[in-house]
Amino acid sequence: MSARDIAAMSDTELMRVEREIAAKHLNKFPYFAVFWAFANLAVWLALWPLVFLSGLPLWVAFPIAAVTITLCYLPSHEAQHDIIARPGTRLRWLNQLVGHVSTIPLVLPYRIAKLTHLEHHKHTNHPEWDPDISCAAPGPLSAIWQTVRENQPRAKGGMNSYGATLSRIGRPDVVLDGVVYNLVFYGILFALAWGGFAIEAALLWWLPRHVALIYIRFFLSWAPHHPGLSVGRYKDTRSFRSHLGNIGSMGMQYHIVHHLYPRIPLYRTPRAYWDLKPILEARGCHVSEL
Amino acid sequence: MLVVIKTVFHFGPLLFGIGFIAPLFAQIMDAMDWAAPFGLNSLVFGLIVGGAYGLVAQIRGRWI
Repeated sequence: MSARDIAAMSDTELMRVEREIAAKHLNKFPYFAVFWAFANLAVWLALWPLVFLSGLPLWVAFPIAAVTITLCYLPSHEAQHDIIARPGTRLRWLNQLVGHVSTIPLVLPYRIAKLTHLEHHKHTNHPEWDPDISCAAPGPLSAIWQTVRENQPRAKGGMNSYGATLSRIGRPDVVLDGVVYNLVFYGILFALAWGGFAIEAALLWWLPRHVALIYIRFFLSWAPHHPGLSVGRYKDTRSFRSHLGNIGSMGMQYHIVHHLYPRIPLYRTPRAYWDLKPILEARGCHVSEL
Repeated sequence: MLVVIKTVFHFGPLLFGIGFIAPLFAQIMDAMDWAAPFGLNSLVFGLIVGGAYGLVAQIRGRWI
């Protein structure tokens, strides 16, 4: 199909073609994301006995911990969109298991992640209703600094705003998940610290988690929605070219596909993007960088 | 129970200063062979530093 053919299409025809293309990438089982969820968690958990018992140097364990905690979000993200298995299907338990266990190192409860993330999809870039709008910033360095600011105790945005989002959608009960996760997290940190393992706790969990939160916010929230001013199906998300490539940006260069069709697995978004690109251009999407 | 949990979270920065930063600071000092001033042991000095930093964060609502 040529660019001229697409330019001549009506809105209805464009939508029909767009859906036909997207359908080729939907309903694919993300084997790698499932493997990734458990393997990644296993690597992070293994660091603890390796450091405590086998003498793995902390300077080696720290970057591994930072990478694994950073990578732990994406399998849960697949589960949040029911990509592994939809409700009522045979493998639904696996979807929920991946969702719950993969973000343990990030201290992010699955139900909070899912409910607030779906609100982000419903209200992307909305100044009041998008729970992730607080990461909007004029440039990359200010985006990193903004995440640091939003992680402060009395910050209004970031994860501190998730409670307000849950109340707004009538699910304040889910805040309890966050309370439990945080009590356990800080309880373990304090116990390790007073037991003589403060440096280990800091470099295997506390500091890597902060690195991960910054990295995830940067590539999942800031970069694909920058400048965060437009709303609407074809305007609120963009494709972008990262200096770190698609793997280094955790597949987020093609995040626009995810916002149009959230149930396309992460590993299929590059192919779906290139298939859809003429349609996205016809729709006036921000796809000039890639 | 709810009041206890809310109080714990309200004083989060102060508790973090005492519960985590203090022993972390002390153990870093020990690892680096740094001596605490005024003849204090490293844990007492860590509690002073961590407690003070936590108190400042508690009042300001931010660590940095």
